[in-house]
Amino acid sequence: MALELNKLTHAVENLSASAAQRLTELAERLPMAQATLKAIGLADDELHRKVQAALKFRWAGAIPTAEPVDAAFPLPPHPARATVIAADGSQIYPDRHGISLYYLINIGSIIFRHGLPLAPSTASLPEVFFEDADLYEEDGGQIPSVKIDSERDLRELAALARSAATEAPAAPTVTLLDNGLLLYITLQAPNQKLSDAVIEAYLDQLTALRDSGAAPAGVVDRPRAASVVRLLRLAALAENEITDAELRALGAFQHLTDALLFNFLQPGERSALFVNASPANIDNYQRRGHTIYLFYLNAGRPGKDSLLRVEVPEWVAKDKAKLDLVHTAIVEQCKVTDGFPYVLMRAHELAVVTMAERREFDQMVTGALIRRGLSPSVSQKAQGKAWTGSAKRKYPR
Amino acid sequence: MTETTTIGRLLRSSTTGYVFGCAVPEPEVPLFGAFVKAPAQRKQTEIVGLIYNIAFEDDPFVRQMVATPDLDEAYIQDQRVNRQVPIEVSVLAVGYRSLTNGHGFVYSLPPQPPITLDRISSCSGEEVLDFTARFDYLRLILDSPDAPADELIATSLHHAAAMRPAQDRTFFLREAGKELARLLNRDLARLENLLRRIKP
Repeated sequence: MALELNKLTHAVENLSASAAQRLTELAERLPMAQATLKAIGLADDELHRKVQAALKFRWAGAIPTAEPVDAAFPLPPHPARATVIAADGSQIYPDRHGISLYYLINIGSIIFRHGLPLAPSTASLPEVFFEDADLYEEDGGQIPSVKIDSERDLRELAALARSAATEAPAAPTVTLLDNGLLLYITLQAPNQKLSDAVIEAYLDQLTALRDSGAAPAGVVDRPRAASVVRLLRLAALAENEITDAELRALGAFQHLTDALLFNFLQPGERSALFVNASPANIDNYQRRGHTIYLFYLNAGRPGKDSLLRVEVPEWVAKDKAKLDLVHTAIVEQCKVTDGFPYVLMRAHELAVVTMAERREFDQMVTGALIRRGLSPSVSQKAQGKAWTGSAKRKYPR
Repeated sequence: MTETTTIGRLLRSSTTGYVFGCAVPEPEVPLFGAFVKAPAQRKQTEIVGLIYNIAFEDDPFVRQMVATPDLDEAYIQDQRVNRQVPIEVSVLAVGYRSLTNGHGFVYSLPPQPPITLDRISSCSGEEVLDFTARFDYLRLILDSPDAPADELIATSLHHAAAMRPAQDRTFFLREAGKELARLLNRDLARLENLLRRIKP
């Protein structure tokens, strides 16, 4: 084996000691942060003025709403009949060392009808892309992985919108994504034109979801975000102290996360709603009426908390019936899986492309190329990896 | 060859038996002690077997859900119908017949086992009648180290009896008892137990 674990034992000891020390430090500062949250309570005019000042610096915090920021909302009752739809995607990125240049996206989806004794409807929809227009940018460069990710995200949301159009008229319907609703491409896109096109298509799907009557939500497990922590930092600053540098430095709140901050939520409870202050939200989503809100939700059980970050569009956040439905449906779905929605686990299972399946697909492609009189082969580098990586032996020295 | 229902496809096999996989069993198939058949030798022969074990595999996902109280029926249906966690059915080979020469059944181990993904079918009533016209296959069951032989003999004989007209069933089971008496004449305790089990 290439990884000689005996050379890492000291580093692993240090790693665990460092993790324990960090946790102790955070635990010492957490009561101060939670006290700050409680002190804010219902955001006053001064805090709202500070938020407006911070937004000029493209501050990525959480904007308070009409709910007290330290509030905990109990679990609403689950309706006897409700439908939960989930979609997830996976992809094979183009491999220039492979037998052929292509990329593949597979979308798995599930329609789960609570209260009906029926097996859920499931689907997997694979698509392969191989034309020059799919693989290359206008400047001749190969398609960036962030664009493939966006194509996948777009197809996930489109699958939800299609299913919601038929399901929502029959029963209260929630659609779930295993991610936030703010597209990652807004931060990573190599060019603005690409970013704009993807975002517009994505927002079109959100509009379709709104028109269907369903309530969409993005679910993030084990969130690392510090959006509300940034709000605490902002609240601690005087109005004349708000600068880009001061906003970036979290001071006494450094390394704290929202998940730690909201550890007071009991199983089933959600936090207050906040508006995601991400520039992408303000610049793009708000303009189309889809401003993204967020809240934290303890979807665990007594003795085993499971804190999720949930993102919903404005028209769900401001509709109490829809917001309560998202809240209770996620908790209900988490009961059988101990903290993460069942339908998202199943959608992932339906979408994931395993290494074995990828090998089988490559064999299909190889066969098809040979029938066309071509002689497909992997690069010598890829061949070398196959030779050395599969059955490596280690001889004693 | 009589047209019958496909109940699964072969996972693995040997001369003495085979294991096939199938989806959630319907009420009529497969059942312990049922007669099934599999093609072999490029469909030149057909191997008759008896189902002696049905195993439901699990996975970590199912194990997680087992402890959940008040499980919504939709979760159960999803796991049973959509996820298709494999069900493995073990079959003991008890005879075969050639599909090319038209001769009857041979009550011994087949020349070759079936191969991966071959279709496994249940035997028709007519085939069960033909196969159980003789009791030579009982020896193969008694000699099997894997199958629960006594249970399998009793259940399969009752299956075979049920295929016959009501007035013939007692005679059939009595004849089977005579054959068992010949095969187990040195193990009277076991014979007595078996005879009790197949008593009409």
